[in-house]
Order: sequence, then C-alpha cells, then structure tokens
Amino acid sequence: MGRSGARAVLRLIAAQARMSALAALQYRLGFWTEGLLGALWSAIGVIPLLVATSYQETVAGWGPWELMAVTGLFMVFSGIFGALLQPALIESMEHIRRGSLDALLLRPVDALALCLTAAFSPWRLTEAAAGAALLVVALVKVGAAPDLWMIGAALVVIAAGIVGLYALGILALCASFLAMQLQNLTYLFDALLDFARWPSSVFRGPLKALFTFVVPFAVMTTMPAEALLGRLAAVDLGIAVVVAAGLLVIARRCWSASLRRYASAGG
Amino acid sequence: MSELVVRAEGLSKRFTVAHREAGLGAAVRALFRRQTTTVEAVRGLSLSIARGERVGFLGPNGAGKTTTLKMFAGLLLPSAGSVRVGGWTPHQREREFLRSISLVVGQKRQLSWDLPAVDTFELNRVIFEIEGRIFKQRLERLVSLLAAGSIIEKPVRQLSLGERMKCELIAALLHGPQVLFLDEPTIGMDVAMQAAIRGFIRTYNEEEGATVLLTSHYMEDVAALCPRIVVIDEGRLRFDGSIEALTREISPLRRISVSAARIPAAAALAALGRVVEWSPSRVTLDVAPEAVAAVVPALLAWPESRELSVKDAPLEEVMRALFSRAKTDEEEAG
Repeated sequence: MGRSGARAVLRLIAAQARMSALAALQYRLGFWTEGLLGALWSAIGVIPLLVATSYQETVAGWGPWELMAVTGLFMVFSGIFGALLQPALIESMEHIRRGSLDALLLRPVDALALCLTAAFSPWRLTEAAAGAALLVVALVKVGAAPDLWMIGAALVVIAAGIVGLYALGILALCASFLAMQLQNLTYLFDALLDFARWPSSVFRGPLKALFTFVVPFAVMTTMPAEALLGRLAAVDLGIAVVVAAGLLVIARRCWSASLRRYASAGG
Repeated sequence: MSELVVRAEGLSKRFTVAHREAGLGAAVRALFRRQTTTVEAVRGLSLSIARGERVGFLGPNGAGKTTTLKMFAGLLLPSAGSVRVGGWTPHQREREFLRSISLVVGQKRQLSWDLPAVDTFELNRVIFEIEGRIFKQRLERLVSLLAAGSIIEKPVRQLSLGERMKCELIAALLHGPQVLFLDEPTIGMDVAMQAAIRGFIRTYNEEEGATVLLTSHYMEDVAALCPRIVVIDEGRLRFDGSIEALTREISPLRRISVSAARIPAAAALAALGRVVEWSPSRVTLDVAPEAVAAVVPALLAWPESRELSVKDAPLEEVMRALFSRAKTDEEEAG
C-alpha cells in the first residue's frame, strides 16, 4: 500500500469513527449506559490486582506483579477487541446476512477496511486505557526499567498481536459468508480471549502450541510482558512476527475467495 | 452508434439454493442432510447500452433483473460470459469503476439508520474523495431538485419511505456517477412521489448525460422514462427495443375509447372491433390498425359522441401477453 493508499485508509478510519461517535451520541441514555458499562468493565479487569496483592505465590514462574503486567496487556487487547473489532465484526456479519454488504462493496475503498471499521464502541476503550495504566503500575512494582530495545521489542510483538487478532476476526467474517448468523463466534472469541489473562507457560503441549501459533494469545500478552521484563528471546520475537504475517496472508486470501462467493440477498 | 457503456456477452449466473419442507422435523433433518438445487438466475444474456441511454429493464419476479444489475455493478461474479461497464470489468471492483457507477436498490439502504442523512453524505464525501466545493455544489443541486431541504437533517428512521428514497438518491449521486443502475426506485411510494422521482431521474440523465438502467414494477415509470426497454424472463432475453415496437409485436391492436349518449349493445359492436369494456355511456374497443381510419368516423357519428382516444394497449397488458406467449412457446417446444 502506497503513502496515498495509507492516507486514504486513515481518512476512512477517521470518518467511520466519526459516524460511530455520532451514533453513540444520538441516544443520550444509551451513551451514559455505555459509559457506565465501560467503567464497570475496567473495574472488573482490575479485580485480579486486588486478589493478587493478597497472595504472594507465583504462577508458572511469574510473580504477582509480573502476572499483573500480563493482566494489564490482556485488558489492552480485550479493550481493543471490544471497542474496535467485535462491534465491526457483528455489524459486518449482519451486512453479509441481510445483503446490505452491497452498499459497502460499491464504495471505492478496500471492502475489508470498510468492514473492519464498520462500527466502534468507544467506551470499551476505557478498558484498554485501564489496562495500560495497570501495566505501568505493575512494571514499577516489579522494578523493571525497560530500555529502548525492550520497549521496541514489546511494541513489535504488540503490533503482531493486534495483526493476529484482526486476522482471526477476518477469518470469522469469512466463515459468515458460508454460514449466516455467526455473530456468536465473536462472543466465543471474547470468551477464549480470557485465556490470554495467563502467561503462556501455564499451558503445556497442544494447548501451548494452539495459543502460540493458531490463536496467538501468547503473542498478544505473554510476549510483550516478557519483552518489557527483559526475558523475550529473539527467536520468540521472530515467531511472533511470522505467526502474525502468516495469519494475515491466510485471512486476506480467504477474504478474496469469500467475496467471489458472495451471493448478496434479495434478488 | 454512440459509445457503448454496458456490453454483456452470454452473461450467466447460477446460484446454489438450499431448500426444505415446512416443519420442525424437516428443519432438524436439514441440519444433517441439506437439499440444494442450482438456480439459473441469468442465462446467456447479451446486451449493449450506449452512453446517455435510459433503458427500462422489465420482467416478472425472479426473472433475473436484480441479479443482472448486481453483476453489472460488480457485486456478483458471473458464472459464465463477460460484462464490461464503462470499459471496466465490474467484478474486479477497480476504484475508478466504482467512482463511475451507482446502484440504488429501493428495498435496501446505505444511509445510517439512526443518524440524519447529512452524516452519511459527509461519510461518502470522504470515501469518494469529493472535493469540498464540488460536494457542496452537488449537494445543494440534488437537494433542490428533489425538494429535500427539510428532511436531510432528520434521523433517517423518522423519514417516510419516499423521503428516505430521496436521501438514498442524493447519497448515490453525490460522487457524480455516469452510469446509474436503479432497482425499483419508486417501490411502495405514492403517485406524487413516484412522479417526483421520475422527473428527477430524467433531469439527471439529461443534464449529466448519465446512462440509466432502470427496473420497476410500475409500468408508468418505464413508459414515462425509457425510450428503450429490455425484457427478460427466467434469465433469458425476450425483447430489446422501443415500447412501441414491443406493442406492435405483441399486441398490435389499437385501443379506442369513446363516450356517447347511448352506446349500442356489445354484440352490435363486433363488426368494429373486440369490446374490452362496455357501459351504456362509454366503450373501449381493440381495433386492427388498418381499420382505425374507418372505425373512428363511425364512432364519432354516434349521438353526442365525445372524448375519443386512440392508444396502444397498456404496457402491463402487453407484458402479460408477452410472458404468456413465451410460456406457450416453451410448452409447445418441450
């Protein structure tokens, strides 16, 4: 994608975000209810902090505040998923079911970009903000002082995690071309995401492989925490990038194939 | 001949459609063993449309009209054949192609349901990269043509069907498309609103030189707007030409209506033509074209003869005759 293409996508994201913000502001009661739920969501995410500070035991080699760093990263990803990806997937799946995807496909921009920005729930970003705050507190408590390399490595794996998250979302969207009414997939994904609360070393054998290569929760939360704590091996950094790129290629191909199969609706 | 904008050759589209019997048992069985059939929605359609033409696309429900429009707009990949629109292959969905066309479907919406239409217009301005000054000019002109000034700032869910369609048309035309595919744009509207939309489509076509392909169940739409009609049935092309040519081919009789002080009994009128409607004060006859010159003076000779009109058969009747003739031909061939 060229610079002008990237600018066009950024303009599109800004315009779609504006529409979602306007839609959120259209109904006053709904706006404040969403706000309350967003605050509640953030508070629930921090509860493990209170529990952990009352126990000093380690889990799979991770101390309580190190676990808090993982929890903070989990909240960042959960917030991004709930605010940006899940609403867009639900909206787009509904478009596919009803045939109203037609209106999106008639616009002269990447249809996938339109689908992935079809709706936002801005209040859920409070959870991501709370997660970022928790991560900082946890790093301070642990006494970690990440250098530029560690921060850079963390940012790379976080980016890889976001790419992986979106790739899985695109695959779910592709599945809805084959079978309608798959909105529940996004809730299943939401539930699965809960596994990302725990460091990947908690899991063994097939589960560890699953959460590293197929549903890469390890890339999203464990690896960034390891990077910030100075424990991430260079090979793991490579694995994170390769897994994310691989998932993205598969997702993009599935999307192209799905568009060719698209049968619209109503005539 | 002027430049061809739409060119389809042997265009076909097949769908695999699931079906099952009614009832819970059938629904449960379908979970494990689904029955499907292949439906040929469009079969070998060849068609050309020149720049600036207004073409009515007619056919009964399920004839393949909407499927054809969706292939022309790049939404559906043809199963066979080829189509070019404005020099582009539609299903490749090139940006310049999408900037040059618009598809408006009467029963679907692109407007955001909860927001005023102006917000969707603004989104389209960004997506279609319309320069601010041009956007403002076009919006003002479209709003003025459609008399939509008072409705574009109301939430879409609060608009009537006709008001919503006005806003849909504005949203679809803000980028200045040169090819317009309209699928039932006046469906469900009252007569006044239908006339307003028809007038608008004609003005847009004449002022912008845009090519218009229109489907409608309202024959008035087609008769008033389209010098050329294309008729398809069961996915096949049945007719391509003017309404007059279709009428001459299918129903060549002229329809003469006249009022008089006392209309003779229907049986006594058989020599003049076939009686379509009869009342003591008005009669309608179908008359062979070569007999019109003799029949008209005879009718005008009746006492207090007035309000005489000579017309072609209504398009709806012609279409019914066309489809029933096509069915009969198929049955005889089969």
